[in-house]
Amino acid sequence: MIFVRKAVFIDSIKYILFLSFIVFILTVSSSNMNYNWQWYRVPGYIFTYSADGSLEAGRLLKGLGVTVRISAISLVLAFIIGMITALLRLSSSFAARVVSRIYLELIRNTPLLIQLFVIYFVISPVFNISPFVSAILALSLFEGAYASEIIRGGINAIPKGQWESAYSLGMSSIDTYRYIILPQTFKQVLPPLTGQAVSLIKDSALVSTIAIFDLTMAGQAIISETFLTFEIWFTVALIYLLMTISISTFVHYLEKRNSYAH
Amino acid sequence: MLIEPIISVNNLNKYFFSPDKSLKIDAVKNVTVDIFQGEVVVVIGPSGAGKSTFLRCLNGLEDFDSGTIVIDKIPLDHHHKNRLEIRKEVGMVFQSFNLFPHMTVGKNISLAVRRVRKKSVSECDKITVDLLEKVGITDKIDSYPGQLSGGQQQRVAIARALAMNPKVMLFDEATSALDPEMISEVLDVMKNLAKDGMTMVVVTHEMGFAREAGSRILFMDNGEIVEDRKVEDFFLDPIEDRSKAFLSKVL
Repeated sequence: MIFVRKAVFIDSIKYILFLSFIVFILTVSSSNMNYNWQWYRVPGYIFTYSADGSLEAGRLLKGLGVTVRISAISLVLAFIIGMITALLRLSSSFAARVVSRIYLELIRNTPLLIQLFVIYFVISPVFNISPFVSAILALSLFEGAYASEIIRGGINAIPKGQWESAYSLGMSSIDTYRYIILPQTFKQVLPPLTGQAVSLIKDSALVSTIAIFDLTMAGQAIISETFLTFEIWFTVALIYLLMTISISTFVHYLEKRNSYAH
Repeated sequence: MLIEPIISVNNLNKYFFSPDKSLKIDAVKNVTVDIFQGEVVVVIGPSGAGKSTFLRCLNGLEDFDSGTIVIDKIPLDHHHKNRLEIRKEVGMVFQSFNLFPHMTVGKNISLAVRRVRKKSVSECDKITVDLLEKVGITDKIDSYPGQLSGGQQQRVAIARALAMNPKVMLFDEATSALDPEMISEVLDVMKNLAKDGMTMVVVTHEMGFAREAGSRILFMDNGEIVEDRKVEDFFLDPIEDRSKAFLSKVL
């Protein structure tokens, strides 16, 4: 016990030293640049008073709302696309395997930014799709490809005996997937899928390039008006960090609650 | 009047190729056998003789290359519907139990009854309780497989297969993965099943079980059935040299 406490103590000291070092670097560099810190102006971009005196969301918070909406919808779609692609790749149909393989290679071997531009500048005018929908389409297609590989890996990791015992009971392939294979797969792939969800939230910053007022775009706009470069970018980064950390924490809690004895 | 066999296997062949495709290995070779209602057929032989492969062919877990299998008048062929129909009537118990780890014991047993036999929830509950009583672990209905000993898991696996009310039960080395002190509890369940008149095909290394509960021995070697005899005849008076050599090693 005493050793544990000592270890924690030493760790804390190291952590504090590290933080002080970072703060020191920042202070030195900003004073060298003669940067004029104006943190007091930042809260106004998070919350602001409207004309009638009531509190309302500031520009950053409004941008966050757009980011959350785009991320949440894309997350659901990416999961569905990933699931379907994984099942197609594992299916016995040759055509299904080829189609899913082409989709996968196309998405994984081109930059997300280019995919976003292709959808926004080439496909959306043809089908008359709004920027918001284009953004969701690009993000969910991109993250869905990665999610499908994670899910496929998870399905392949289920022991062969699970299929055999389900089949030997006369169960159909669909029932076997639904009751036996997928529930076990999800428990295994939840951590890597969470990582993918975090990537999605971070990648959503790219949608600012197609004229969507998400968190990043809001930050950019504020900076170009006020030159609060450091304060706003730090704040924006912190907001992204809060989002991704809360997702990881929530999933960790889910994992603990749903664990069963092996 | 002629009695129809419940399992009829005719000239069954299955072969594998060695990894470099140069060698053709016969896993099951020209197997022809009829099995009748109530028989307890024990399949024995040296490892690699094709016993498990033969057994797995019987419920379509393994594809075969030529020959026919007819179970309860349903041919096991390319029709997926026939395959599902046969699997409903043929229960199987595996060496490694293969219980569903994310479900309770009760759910493991009732799932297929509910989904495949389409019985009501209350019927499923009754079947589950009755079968757990039969295999002697009524208190574990809400446990997860990971919380049970190997012997208990295998008994649950037997109950799960029985829940479908199958006409035939296949046992694929059901006691080989068990600690020695747990083998008897599983064998006892199997012996009781045999006594109740269940048609069973049992791949095993337990000669004691074969003698006590078996009605017929299939001795396999290199994919072929070398001897197909009544249990007492086989153990007292093996004909073929290969069976004699095998028996001298295991007895």
